[in-house]
Amino acid sequence: MTQKISQYFQQENILKSLLMILIGAFCIYPLLTLLFKVSWIDGGLSGQYFEKVFKSSSTQSAFFNTIIVSFGTALLSCIFALPISWLLKRTDLPYVKFSKTICCLPYAVPPYIGAIAWISLANPTNGFLNELLFGTGFFNIYSHLGLIFVMSCFFYTLVLLNLLNAFDRLDPSLEEAARISGAAPRKVFMQITLPLILPSLTSGFLLVFLASMASFGVPALIGTPGDIFLITTKIYTLQKMGSFSGIYQAGALSVSLLLFSIMIVYGNLWIQQNLSYKTISGKSPRPSLVPLKKLKWPIFIGLYLCLFILFGLPILSILVTALSEVPGKVDINLMGFANFKKVFFEMSETSRALTNSSILAVSAAFIGCILGFMIAFISTKTQMKGRKFLTTAANLPFTTPGTVVALAFILAFSQSFFGLPFSLYNTSILLIIVYVVKYLSLAINVNADGLEQIDNSLAEAARVSGANWFTTLRTIWFPLLRNSIFASWFLILMPCFSELTMTILLAGPGTETVGTLLFQLQEYSDASGGGSAVLSLVVVGFVISLNFLIKKMSNGAYGL
Amino acid sequence: MSEIRIKNLNKYYGQLQVVNNFNITVKDGEFLALLGPSGCGKTTSLRMIAGLEEPSSGLIQIDNDTVYDSSENINTPPEKRSVGMVFQSYAVWPHMNVYDNVAYPLKIRNLNKDEIETAVSKVLHTVELEGLEKRMPNQLSGGQQQRVALARGLVMEPKVLCLDEPLSNLDAKLRAKMRKDIREIQQKFGITVVYVTHDQIEAFEMSDRMVIMNQGLVEQVGSPEEVRESPKTEFVAEFIDG
Repeated sequence: MTQKISQYFQQENILKSLLMILIGAFCIYPLLTLLFKVSWIDGGLSGQYFEKVFKSSSTQSAFFNTIIVSFGTALLSCIFALPISWLLKRTDLPYVKFSKTICCLPYAVPPYIGAIAWISLANPTNGFLNELLFGTGFFNIYSHLGLIFVMSCFFYTLVLLNLLNAFDRLDPSLEEAARISGAAPRKVFMQITLPLILPSLTSGFLLVFLASMASFGVPALIGTPGDIFLITTKIYTLQKMGSFSGIYQAGALSVSLLLFSIMIVYGNLWIQQNLSYKTISGKSPRPSLVPLKKLKWPIFIGLYLCLFILFGLPILSILVTALSEVPGKVDINLMGFANFKKVFFEMSETSRALTNSSILAVSAAFIGCILGFMIAFISTKTQMKGRKFLTTAANLPFTTPGTVVALAFILAFSQSFFGLPFSLYNTSILLIIVYVVKYLSLAINVNADGLEQIDNSLAEAARVSGANWFTTLRTIWFPLLRNSIFASWFLILMPCFSELTMTILLAGPGTETVGTLLFQLQEYSDASGGGSAVLSLVVVGFVISLNFLIKKMSNGAYGL
Repeated sequence: MSEIRIKNLNKYYGQLQVVNNFNITVKDGEFLALLGPSGCGKTTSLRMIAGLEEPSSGLIQIDNDTVYDSSENINTPPEKRSVGMVFQSYAVWPHMNVYDNVAYPLKIRNLNKDEIETAVSKVLHTVELEGLEKRMPNQLSGGQQQRVALARGLVMEPKVLCLDEPLSNLDAKLRAKMRKDIREIQQKFGITVVYVTHDQIEAFEMSDRMVIMNQGLVEQVGSPEEVRESPKTEFVAEFIDG
C-alpha cells in the first residue's frame, strides 16, 4: 500500500506533470484558442470570418503571392545549394572547411538584415547598383523577383545543411561502385548520387517553402513598399488595424496558414519515412574525390564570386551606408562615424532596445535550455506515459509560423479576450514565454542527441549506489550533458536577440527590441538608412561572433 | 593475359606512409589474398589497383596496360580500368532492383538489350539469384545483397576482380558457404582476383598466394603452405598463430 502511494508521488512524475502543464498552457492552449475563437461564434461553428477574409481580393492575392514567392524561393535555394554541396563533399575543392563555414554563415543571420542591405543596393530610386548604371532603375528590389532573391540568399542554407548531411550519410562506395562499373563522374552524379539524395533535396525544398511562407521581415520591408502582400504581412496589417473584426480576420488567415504549414510538415515526414533509402554502411573510407583538375581554381574563384554577390556585397553596402554622413553618397571624404554617434549616444531607444533584447534573449535561453534538457531526458531516457505528447507539443510552435504563434498568444492572453484578473499582454514576460515556446524545439533536439550517446548504465550505477531519481539527474546526467545544454543555450539566444516576427506583434509600447527598433528605423523615421545600417552591423557582428564562440567551445560539434 | 604488375607502389596521407614500396605480380587467373590487421594498408593497395585512390608514386599495369605511372604522369580513372569490385558494404544501389543493379555496367557500355539480358541471366544463374530480378535491395538478405554485388562485379567480364572484405558483414555459417562459392566462381571464370581480408581462414582456404602486410610493409608473399610452414618474420608467425 505505502509502496503504491510513494510511487504515485515519485519525483519524476511530479516533474513530468509540471512540464505537461507548462507545455499544455503555452504550446497547445494558445493555438487551440486561436482555432476556437475564429470558428466558434455565438455558440456555434461558423465560417463567417473565413468567408469574409477569403472573399476579399487582397487576401486572395496575398495567398497567390505567398505561393509564388515560396515556390520560387524554394526552387532558387535548391539551385544554389545542390552544386555547392557537391563541390564541398565530393570534389577536391581547395580550402573546403573554410568554404563550408562561409557558405553556411547566412544561416545565422536574420534575413531582414539582407532586406535592409538589398534595399540600399537595388531600390529603384537611388540603390547603389542602379547608381552604377547611371540611375536607370534597372534593378527593382520591390518586386516578386526581389523577394525571392533576397530570401533565397538566406534560406538556401537550409537546403545546403540538409544536403551536406545527406552526403555524409551516403556510403561513398555506392558512387565508387558506379565508377568501377564504367560510369564517368557526371553519369555517377546523375544516375546514383542525385537519386539517392533526392529525398533530402525534396525535404530541403519543403523546409524552405515553409520558412518562406512563415517569413515576415523580408516581405514586410521589401514586399509591402512594392504593394506585394504575403499572408504574414496581411495578418500583420489586419491586426494593426486594431478593430475587433480585423483581429478575427487575421485569426482566420492564421489558421489557414497554420493548416498549410502542418500539411507541409507532415508531407515532409512522409517523404522521409517512405522514400529515403537505408543502406548498410560498412567502414566508409574517405570518398574518392572527383578531381576538378584545371577547373579547380576557376571553380573556386567562381564560387567565391557568387558568395560575394550573395552576402559580401550586401554587408559591404550596409557598411558603406553606416559610414556615409551624407545619405546616398558614396564618397570617401564624406565618410565618418556620425551615424554610429547618433545611434549609440543620441538615440535613447538604442540602449533601451539593446538592454531589452539582451535581457529577453538571455532569460528565454536560460529557461529554454533547462526545459529542453528535461523534456529531452523524459523522452529519451524514460518510458513515461505522455513523453511522446511532450515532444510533439513542444515541437509544434517551432514549425508554426511566428506570426501565427504571436496572434494565438494575443488571442489567448490579452485581458479583453480572456477576462483574467491580470494580463500577460504587453508585458516582457509574455515575450520571454513566446521566445521559449518558439525555440524550445532546438534545445530538445540538441539535448536528445547528447543524451542518446550516453549509456544508461552510468545512471543505473548511480541509482544502485543509492542516489534517487532527481539526484541522479543532477549529479550524473546534468554534468555529462553540460556541453549540449550549453549549446542549446546559445542556439536559443541567437535567434531571440534579433527576433522580429513575433516581437512586432506582441511587444507593448516602450519595450523596443533590436528587431523592432531596426524595423521602425527602416520603415518610418530614418529614410537614409544610416541608423538601421549601424544596428544591422551590430546584429551581424553579434550573431557571427556568437556562432564562432559556440563552435570553439563545442569543438566544432555545434555552430557553422 | 590479365596479369597485374605493381612496382614500387607508395602511398602517403600527409606525413603518414600507409603503403611502403609494394611490389607484386599477380598471375593471370590467380587468386591473391592481401592479409593483415586493420590499418596495414591492404585496402588502400586494393583501392589503388581499382583507381579509387591515387598512389603517391609507383607503377601499376593491368594486362600490359599501364594504368598508373608516376614517372609518366599516367593515371587512368576507375571507369576505364575494366576492374570489377565488391565492396565491404556491398554498395548495392538501393534505388534500383536486382536486375538494374547487375545490368548497370553493361548499360553504361551501351550494349544492346538482348546482350544485356543474356549476360545478366547467366551471371545471376552463377551466383544463384535467379528469380529475384525484380526485388529491391531492401527486400534481400545480407547474403543475397552480397551476391548481387558479386554478380555486378562479374557481369562485364573484367580483367580483374577486387574484393574488399566481402564476407565481414555475414554470419559465420553463410561465410563458410560463400568462401567456397566465391572460389568456385573464380575458377569457373578463370578471373584474376585480389581479395582483401583480415581473416586468415579466408586467406588460407581460398587463395593461391597471399601477401601478409603490416603497417604498410609487405612481411611475406607466398602460397598458404609456404606461409604456414615457414613464416618469414616474427610478425607473420604470430599473426597466423593468433
